[in-house]
Amino acid sequence: MARRMKKNIVTVTPSASLFEAHARMREHTVRQIPVVSGDGVLVGIVSDRDIRAAVLPAGLVPGFTAEAAEKFMKSTPVERVMTRKVVTATLTDTLEDAIVLLHDFRMNALPVVDAAGKVVGIITRTDVLEAFIDALGVGEVSSRLEVVVPDRPGTLAQLAAIIGSFHVNITSVLSTRHVEAGKRANFFRVATLNIGPIRKAIEEAGFKILDPSQFLLP
Amino acid sequence: MKRVAWIYHPDYLLHTPPFEHPESPERLVAINDHLGKAGLIERMVPVTPEYPEDADILSVHDREYLNRLETACRRGDLTLDSEDTYINRHSYNIALLSAGGAIAGAKAVAEGTVDRAFCAVRPPGHHAGRSVGMGFCLLNNAAIAARYLQARHGVGKVLIVDWDVHHGNGTQNIFLEDPTVFYFSIHEHPTFLYPGTGRRWEIGKGKGEGTTLNTPMAPGAGDAEYRTTFEQTLEPAVERFRPEVILVSAGFDAHRDDPLADLQVTDEGFRFMTRHVVGLADRFCGGKIVSILEGGYETSSLTSCIEIHVRELLDE
Repeated sequence: MARRMKKNIVTVTPSASLFEAHARMREHTVRQIPVVSGDGVLVGIVSDRDIRAAVLPAGLVPGFTAEAAEKFMKSTPVERVMTRKVVTATLTDTLEDAIVLLHDFRMNALPVVDAAGKVVGIITRTDVLEAFIDALGVGEVSSRLEVVVPDRPGTLAQLAAIIGSFHVNITSVLSTRHVEAGKRANFFRVATLNIGPIRKAIEEAGFKILDPSQFLLP
Repeated sequence: MKRVAWIYHPDYLLHTPPFEHPESPERLVAINDHLGKAGLIERMVPVTPEYPEDADILSVHDREYLNRLETACRRGDLTLDSEDTYINRHSYNIALLSAGGAIAGAKAVAEGTVDRAFCAVRPPGHHAGRSVGMGFCLLNNAAIAARYLQARHGVGKVLIVDWDVHHGNGTQNIFLEDPTVFYFSIHEHPTFLYPGTGRRWEIGKGKGEGTTLNTPMAPGAGDAEYRTTFEQTLEPAVERFRPEVILVSAGFDAHRDDPLADLQVTDEGFRFMTRHVVGLADRFCGGKIVSILEGGYETSSLTSCIEIHVRELLDE
């Protein structure tokens, strides 16, 4: 978590106005800001959606103007609209924990707090996507291979050995269940243009290479 | 019949792989044989490439990279930067001569001694970046030719049509922020094929935003999808850009028989693409086309497609 979270966090105090919180969100291009007390302890979180929801009912009043909206935002403290029960992550949580938390609690961001409850970072869905892009090897110069293997120990090692025999680096590996029972699908990204001989060797070893055109069928 | 320059040099065969490799001198031997037997070489204008001047190479590549390439070749290294990109003792010189071939084609077309040019060069170029060799490429021949035309012949805007099945990441990067060189690429989708770039939203940066155009093709795509892309995506872009010369990064590995990719383009697809680009060149830039060989690794389809390509260029 400590490695993937953003450490340069923007915070506001509970007494800050909605106007100030909104300005900070725009300035730092973030959608939510942890709310902290004077000693840095997390007391809530406020999102741009919370602010919009607070202003909206006032907007229904006849004669409500842009100036009135600004006045409303300047006179309303963050603590009136913030979420007080915040789902947080700790420094000892793993990235996997963060993914599950974001998914299960349908959150966009998790403040990361230390043992004293102080905010030390924030991790968002974007940070998690970035980790996935890295793990999938997207953007690295490489070719992709998709191999279906029987679901038994040792097959991944066998494939890795075949690829290794071509003096080619594997830049990413992903292994998942295959639609067919008793099979797994292994995805490799390998740092070569010359993928033909590797495909051939894998097929000669008795494995099935998935035809890429099969992936795009509905 | 149009006058078409035939750029070739026997020394191109000196860049030989130290291990079994699809980008081998046999590709050019086969092309030479095939075009000779078809009686096409005698109908073209032979042009012998020369070693380029430093300035023409340095307009694209860093001095440090050239030094590194030269040293690696002299030292007897087997590969450069990545394991799939081999070199031998001749490779530095032959890479220069390959770029010289693209320059010779550009020169003949710019000076009007020919109408069009086909440069049967190797090693190929479109993966080579400013300071990195990869994907069998050492120097970026097409990029060097584009810069040569601008520097030596007063050409303003150049269009590069790259129909090699792999995305020309090197060429794209070199001209990413340059509004004077339009880079168009049609290639197999980066999720499935090397080098993993060329997604549809890669459109250039800064001043070059809008002069990069990528059209990734799903595995299994063929002539029909290529035709639609050329007519509906490339053509309007060319109408807006108004190039003065068209360079073609002509790879023939999108062919259904090629072992390195998953597309289904046929001989007729390459006839269509050549004819279409010839039409664009006739409309916008006085017919000026310089076609530079990139990939294509299955001898039979490579030679038959190049025969078609050359026949279309000859306009016979």
